[in-house]
Amino acid sequence: MSATLHINQSELAAPPVMATLGQRSLVIGLVFVVVCAFGAFTSPHTFYSAYLTAYMDWLGVTLGCMVILMLQHMTGGAWGLVIRRVMEAAVGTLPLMAVLFIPVVLGIPYLYAWAQPQALAKDVPLQQIAHSYLNAGGFVTRAVIYFALWGAIAFFLLRWSAEQDTSSQHSTLRFRVVSGPGILIYALTISFASVDWVMSLQARWVSTIYGMMFIAGQVLAGFCFVVVMETILSKRKPMSEYLHPKEIHDHGKLILAFVMVWAYFNFSQWLIIWNGNLPDEIPWYLRRLNGGWAAVGLALVIFHFVAPFVMLLGRQFKRRTRTMVWIAAMLLVMRYVDLWWNIEPVFSPTIRVTLWTIACPLAIGGIWLWLFARNLRQRPLLPLYAPHVRELLEPAHE
Amino acid sequence: MSQLPIYGMMAEFDTPQRLMDAAHHTSAAGYRKIDAYSPFPIEGLAEAIGFESNAVPLVVLIAGIVGGVTGYVMQYWMAAVSYPLNISGKPYHSWPSFIIVTFEMTILFAGVAAVLGMLALNGLPMPYHPVFNVPRFAFASKDRFFLIVFASDPKYDASSTRNFLETLDPRAVMEVPS
Repeated sequence: MSATLHINQSELAAPPVMATLGQRSLVIGLVFVVVCAFGAFTSPHTFYSAYLTAYMDWLGVTLGCMVILMLQHMTGGAWGLVIRRVMEAAVGTLPLMAVLFIPVVLGIPYLYAWAQPQALAKDVPLQQIAHSYLNAGGFVTRAVIYFALWGAIAFFLLRWSAEQDTSSQHSTLRFRVVSGPGILIYALTISFASVDWVMSLQARWVSTIYGMMFIAGQVLAGFCFVVVMETILSKRKPMSEYLHPKEIHDHGKLILAFVMVWAYFNFSQWLIIWNGNLPDEIPWYLRRLNGGWAAVGLALVIFHFVAPFVMLLGRQFKRRTRTMVWIAAMLLVMRYVDLWWNIEPVFSPTIRVTLWTIACPLAIGGIWLWLFARNLRQRPLLPLYAPHVRELLEPAHE
Repeated sequence: MSQLPIYGMMAEFDTPQRLMDAAHHTSAAGYRKIDAYSPFPIEGLAEAIGFESNAVPLVVLIAGIVGGVTGYVMQYWMAAVSYPLNISGKPYHSWPSFIIVTFEMTILFAGVAAVLGMLALNGLPMPYHPVFNVPRFAFASKDRFFLIVFASDPKYDASSTRNFLETLDPRAVMEVPS
């Protein structure tokens, strides 16, 4: 084979299927946005909890992809290069996610006990918490800080990646200068954000591992989304030319690792709270193990841990998108179920599926996927001038 | 000096790609008992010389299950049968508190089985191996790539195998004494 490759950036454009995906997603998204807008006005008490669940789910995919992108800049490796543009397109939806946070802010009086005068009146310790930390002003200020930090990371990584498409002269050092601290910033901000947005739904309940559970879940969601996308893309040029079983295998191994990390964090929280059996902590689980919610918890154990764990043990299973895509799709659904099981029992002691439980993830997801597909189509599917990319396109080890 | 029995015929190559091509051609020519040596792992080479799978994953899986069951049963027997203790009013058979040790025992058994199973199945440690009778084989850990057809292959014939390997563009073809 020739030593130099003559590849045109236009040959690396995303396939037309992404345009179709974007259009159909947008139609579905807009239909359900109308449904959701109706819900926000007619039944805010059931709508906002569903909205928060769906929002956290899609934010998880976005931020999960951002962490994996930063990890890829820090470690390098073919596993990350082949999916870098998919992750960058997902990270590019952050402005949308910032806008979609507005309904959460509007929902504060319906969602959070610390913002409800009648709940505050009979709970003196909660008044102190609300006075010093959990209040609407602080909530919004902190959210602005989180989004500013995430936005700054995303802005620089995407901008420099675009510059890298024009020539190989740019240094890759600056990616690492942002990504290293960026991973740390993400871990800290998502810990605070998960406390603000989800844990504070039960204002008196505290779990120190809660932020870690969100990190594990978001990275897992990011990887699963990437595997679903690479399944669609690898059936067509150009990705069919450079995605090998070895890279799919690596993604499978990483998904297995994060399935186990998710289970580990969740079990740690359960073991400590179950063992302590303290009146401050145990109601969180009592709420989620009664009124039908136990079935959801059991489904999480089986489909978010046991089934993927057992299936991902096999080597051949992890080397094919044909098999991996089912695990990835199932885990993406289970990510939503996990968040639903975390959030919805606060508002309903018995299991409850409303129209909004279905409509909100479709509304946000439709628009999100449309923007993702649009971002993906604007750039070549491989960062052609990034180090080692050309090795991917050449025959093995020549 | 008496003639030693022959272990196989070895070809030396300059590049990994030549070794890969040679491995494919040798397989295609009907040779089944072949092996390849390279200073670094080459993706696809194992498949090219006819490797399909080995028993190490199965050994690890069985050992892991045995370890997990052992860990759980051990704790159950201690906490609920042999010396039942009332700990904060919880049942004797309190499964959540058994999980950590069960997990650790699974990992311990699986990890030890992975190392021992690997050694048992690849025959290491091996103080003597005929391929080192070829002096040039020392380069296999440096920058040369080797392919060997074992004399035990039914299709092996000293002259025809040598002639066949010569067609694969090797740097040299050497007979390996046993």
